[in-house]
Amino acid sequence: MSCVDESPARAPGLIRKLARDPVGLAGLILVLGFLSMAVFAPYLAPYDPIKIDVLNKFQPPSPAHPAGTDQLGRDTLSRIIFGARTALTIALVSTGLAGVFGLLLGMIAGFGPRLLDNFLVLVFDAFSSLPMIMFALAVITVLGPGTNTLIFVILIVSIPGYARLIRAQTLSLKNSDFIMAERTMGASHIRIILWHVLPNVVGPLVIVLSMDIPVVIMLEAGLSYLNLGVRPPTPSWGNILYDGYTSLRFAPTMVIVAGIPLVLSTIGFTFLGERLRDALDPKIQIRGLR
Amino acid sequence: MKWMTDRRRFMQLGGAALAGAMARPQFAWAVEGSTLRLRVGGDFQVLDPFGIIGELDDIIPRCTQVTLVRLGDAREGSELSLWGAEKMEWTSPTTLAFTLREGLNWTGDYGPVTAEDVKFSFERIAGSESAWAYQFDYLDHVEVIDERNGIIHLNAAYPPFDLIALPYYAGHIQCKAAVEAVGGSYTTEIPAQCGPYLFDNWEQNRKVTLKANPDWTGPKPDFDTIEFYIVADDQTALLAYEADAYDFTSLAPNSLRQVKSSMPSGATLIEAPSTRYTWLTINMNAEPLKDPRVRQAIQLAYDGEAVLQGAFDGAVPRATGVVAPGPYSRPSNIYAKRDVERARALLAEAGAENLRLSLISQSDSTSLTIAQIIQATLGEAGISVDIQPTESAAYWAAGDKTQGDGYKSIELVLMNFAGGLEPTENLVWFMPDQIGVYNWSFFDNSEFADLYAKASLEPDTEKRKAMFHRMEDLMEESGGFIFIAFEPYIAIHDENLRPSILADGHPDPVMFRKI
Repeated sequence: MSCVDESPARAPGLIRKLARDPVGLAGLILVLGFLSMAVFAPYLAPYDPIKIDVLNKFQPPSPAHPAGTDQLGRDTLSRIIFGARTALTIALVSTGLAGVFGLLLGMIAGFGPRLLDNFLVLVFDAFSSLPMIMFALAVITVLGPGTNTLIFVILIVSIPGYARLIRAQTLSLKNSDFIMAERTMGASHIRIILWHVLPNVVGPLVIVLSMDIPVVIMLEAGLSYLNLGVRPPTPSWGNILYDGYTSLRFAPTMVIVAGIPLVLSTIGFTFLGERLRDALDPKIQIRGLR
Repeated sequence: MKWMTDRRRFMQLGGAALAGAMARPQFAWAVEGSTLRLRVGGDFQVLDPFGIIGELDDIIPRCTQVTLVRLGDAREGSELSLWGAEKMEWTSPTTLAFTLREGLNWTGDYGPVTAEDVKFSFERIAGSESAWAYQFDYLDHVEVIDERNGIIHLNAAYPPFDLIALPYYAGHIQCKAAVEAVGGSYTTEIPAQCGPYLFDNWEQNRKVTLKANPDWTGPKPDFDTIEFYIVADDQTALLAYEADAYDFTSLAPNSLRQVKSSMPSGATLIEAPSTRYTWLTINMNAEPLKDPRVRQAIQLAYDGEAVLQGAFDGAVPRATGVVAPGPYSRPSNIYAKRDVERARALLAEAGAENLRLSLISQSDSTSLTIAQIIQATLGEAGISVDIQPTESAAYWAAGDKTQGDGYKSIELVLMNFAGGLEPTENLVWFMPDQIGVYNWSFFDNSEFADLYAKASLEPDTEKRKAMFHRMEDLMEESGGFIFIAFEPYIAIHDENLRPSILADGHPDPVMFRKI
C-alpha cells in the first residue's frame, strides 16, 4: 500500500499534459533540443571545438563558420554545441547528485531519531548560511578552477536545501495512517523509507531540481566568464561570452551567439519546471488553480 | 489642489528628480579642471620602497617622495635628469657626489630633506632581504658631508649605478626620523612626504587621490590633483575610458587591432615597444621535468609564431632573451625553429610519451590566449597541458618559497615582468639566490652568476654584449625557459594630454602635461 498510486499524473499522462500546454511544450522542446545537442555534439559540431587556427581568428559569420571564429580561430558554433555538453553535464550531474544526497539525508533526518535530526538540521542550516557565489569563489581559489570543483561547490550549496525539503515532507508523512499501518505490520525502517516514504517525497524534489538546473547553468557560465569555471580549452558558454566581451568591438557576434543558448536553456528548463510543478503538485490541482 | 498620482505623473516627476540629481556636480563622471585621471590595473600594497611590489606601489612614491634623478619618457630615450639633487657628479669611478635641492621639506615637521635621509634610504635596502637590494649591490656607504651634501661610495666601479639605483623603486628617499618613528618600515601610510604631491585619499580597490603639495618648491606639475582609478580588466578599462571615466589608460597588448578599428573620438593611441618581457618558466626541479630531454622537447614543440600572431597580432617579434631589443639583445634563440618530430623523439627517449603538465597562468585575456596556444601546440607533440588560470595573489604565491614547498613542484608558469633599461636589471631575477623568489625555473648556474657579476662592472660594450649573450644561452640551454616576446606597450589618452611613460611601462604622472 502506498500513496504513489494516488499521484496526480503518471508518466504518459504527464507528457500528454505538457504537450497540450504551449508553455510546457516549448519548455519540453527546448530541453530535449539542448539534451540532444549535448549528447550528439561530436556529430553536430562542424569542427573540433578546441582546434586553434590563429591565422583565421575573429572571422565573421560565413558559410564555413556560421557563427564565426574566436580569438584563437576556433569555430564558435562548434564551441557553442560542445558548450551545451559542458553546461548540461555540470548541471545534471551536480543537481542529480545533490538531489540523491539531499533525498537520503532528508529522509534520515525526518525519519531518524530526534538527536540525529537536530544535528543534521544544524549542519544543513550552517551550510545554507553560506552565500553561494562567495563560497564558490573561496573554494575555487583554494582548489583551483575546474569541472570537479564546480560540481563540488554546487553539491555543497544545494544539498542542504534539498535535504530540508525532503525532511519536511518526510516529517509530514511520518505519522500518516499508512505508515502507522506498515509499522504495525512490523515493516523495517529501511522498507518504510524506501518503499513508502521515498515515492511520496520524490515528486516535489524532481520539480525543485528541474527549476534549479538553469540556476546551475547560469552559475557555471558566470564562473567560467570570470575564468573560475571550467578550465581552458573546455568550451563553455560562459568563457565564450568572456572571449566575446574582450573582442566586443569587432566581433560582437560571439557575445550574441553565446548569449542565445544561455537564454533559451534558462527559458526551457524554467518553463518545463513550472509546468511539471503544476502537473505533479496535487495541492495545486485540488485547489483548481491549474 | 488635489494631488493626483497616476502613472504618467509619476514618470514625469521621477524623470525630473533624476535629471536634477544628475545635474549635481558629484554625479558627473569627469572631474574637469586640473585633475589628472589615470587608470591603473591594481591597487597598491606597499608604499615603503623596501617592499614595493606592483605598479601603483612605485607610481605613488614617485609623486609623494623624491629621487635624486628622474627618468624621462621611454619614447624619447629615457633621459636621466636631476630631480631631488640639484647637482650630481662622478668624482671618481666609485664616488658619486650629490647636493640636494634647497627647499625640499618633509611633511609633519620633520624639517628639510637631508643627506642623512639619503644615507638611511639607500643603506637600509643595500644587502637586505628587499627584492630591490640588487639596486645597491655595489653600494659601500653614503658619506654625509653636511645637511645637503653627500657622497655615494661604491665598492667597485659600476657605471650603470645612477640608472639602476637612483630613479625608481629603492631610489625613493625616505625621512629617516619619520620612518624610525613608525618602527623602521611601513606599508600603506607614508610617515613623511616631500614630493610634488601628497597622499590624500584611498578608497580601497577603487581610487587613490593625490593632491598637490603646497610646500613643493620644485618645478610645478600641470595638475592640482591626480586620481588613480583601479580597474583590473583591460576591456572594462577601455569601455570606461570611452565613457570618459579617466584621461589615460594602458591597454592589453592584444587590443591593438580592436582599438585601431574604432578609435574613440578625441583620443590618441600610444603604440610603442616596451621592456615588459614574457616567457614560459619550465621548473627544472619538478619531477616530470627533471630530465633535460623533456625540457628540450617542450622548447622544440613550442610554436613561437602562433603565439605572436594569436596574442600580439604579429606586432612584435619573438624575444631572444630577457634583455630588451637593442644593442645588447641576442640575435636569435638556440631553439628558434619548431621541430615537433624531434620533440616527440626526445620524449620517447626519455620515456615521457604521456607527459601531462600543469601550466599556471594569470587570468587576463592575453595570458590565457598565450596559455591556450601553448597548450594546443605542445599537444601536437603529445604533451598534455592543464591550464590553471590563477588570480593575482595566488599566482605570485605559487613560486614563493615563503608560502610553503609548492614552489618546488610547480611545472610550467607563464610569466611576465616589467623590465629595466640596463640588461642586468632583467637578468638579476635568474640568479641562484632568486630561486623561490622570482627564479621559478630553479635555474642554478654558477657560470651565469659569475657572468652577472662581471657584466655589471664591465665598461666595454662589446664585452658586456658577449657576456649577456652567453648568459641567455645558458638560460635557454638549461631548458628552464622559453622566451616569448617583449610585449608592445598600448595605451590610450585624451588628445590634450602629453603623457610620460617610463621604460617599465608605468606612467609618471608628475611629468604629464596639458597641451
